[in-house]
Amino acid sequence: MFLFPIVILVIYAVLFVISPGKVGLAIKSSGNVFLNMIIPLSLVFVIMLLINLFLKPAAVAKFLGKGSGVKGIVLSAAAGIISTGPIYAWYPLLKDLKEKGAGESSIAIFLYNRAVKPFLLPVMVTYFGWLYVVTLIILTILASVVVGFSVSIFPPAKRK
Amino acid sequence: MKIAVSADGSNLDAKVANRFSTAEYLVIIDVDSGEFEAVSSPVTVRQHGAGVQAIVLAVSRGAKAVITGYCSPAVASQLKASGVEVLTGMTGTVRDAMEQYKKSSSMMKLPEAHHSSMAAMINKDVLIHAARNAARQFVTLLPILIGVVLLIGLFDVFVSEGLLASIFSGNVALDTLWGACFGSIFAGNPINSYVIGGELLKYGVSLFAVTAFIVTWVTVGLVQLPAEIAFYSRYQLLLLPS
Repeated sequence: MFLFPIVILVIYAVLFVISPGKVGLAIKSSGNVFLNMIIPLSLVFVIMLLINLFLKPAAVAKFLGKGSGVKGIVLSAAAGIISTGPIYAWYPLLKDLKEKGAGESSIAIFLYNRAVKPFLLPVMVTYFGWLYVVTLIILTILASVVVGFSVSIFPPAKRK
Repeated sequence: MKIAVSADGSNLDAKVANRFSTAEYLVIIDVDSGEFEAVSSPVTVRQHGAGVQAIVLAVSRGAKAVITGYCSPAVASQLKASGVEVLTGMTGTVRDAMEQYKKSSSMMKLPEAHHSSMAAMINKDVLIHAARNAARQFVTLLPILIGVVLLIGLFDVFVSEGLLASIFSGNVALDTLWGACFGSIFAGNPINSYVIGGELLKYGVSLFAVTAFIVTWVTVGLVQLPAEIAFYSRYQLLLLPS
């Protein structure tokens, strides 16, 4: 997690020796980017807090793999959108649900919809505007349904 | 009705585990039919997220009550919010717990007065827990984000617009392909792709290329491939976010 910023700082240090003036400009440029992000980042924290307060992982577990047809698609998509944390933390639950008979398409829809991050919307809107963000979210959800349907066509992985 | 009993073993004669979050097994029992199923817990050591994993396990198995030795207030409140009754202070075997529950669940419940005073404490606890989680998630995304913003500063000063124009030439199809390629290589929190994508737009890179970049950033990633390979077939992997 810290390796990347450390590498960048080392690059800054090396470039500072070569061209201190330009490094100063680079820091100023980065500072401007940060300043533009203060308000959206503050909103990100507030939304993160609200999600943690009102949306429990257990609620996601309730949604996922339940229902069939349109209801199943909507619930899986909703579970993907509201789920938080790294994806690897969800694999034990997904494996468990799969063993219990949850459709592969439901799980695929869940995974694809994790691309929609409600708490990051302020940053996204700041850079791209509401129209773009809403369009992209709708297309992502529609694409997840196509992916979910396509995954169910292909043969599942063989288990030993 | 199903109950979940934290246990040290996978059968009804196993001892009730003292801690719900880190119990080796959760024994899910249908108290009406007597049928049971032992589910091994994904986390058996005290670490961050152990409680969440145990909650998800119990709820996803349809348990309406959890019986255990001890359950932290934060975990208990999340279980209750999910409609799961929490009964603590249990010792003995899983079978004992089931029998006691069948006879009278009220025997193991805390007195009502104690419950209500505890509810106030839990609410405060939940708020603190949520704030801590939010702070942790926020802090987690900061180091890489700081690195990305510093990199943008370097890019701004040291990389000429001519170099960028040589990659993103203005050909929509080719630019989109390049955007998708770059987005597929990198992975991580989507916020970084938004920042980079937003800056690329300022340099005149087309919205098609930037969209391809941010979509592939979150849907294609070499880092997650090993975990998904274990889960899906090679044909399915071609379609999935990885």
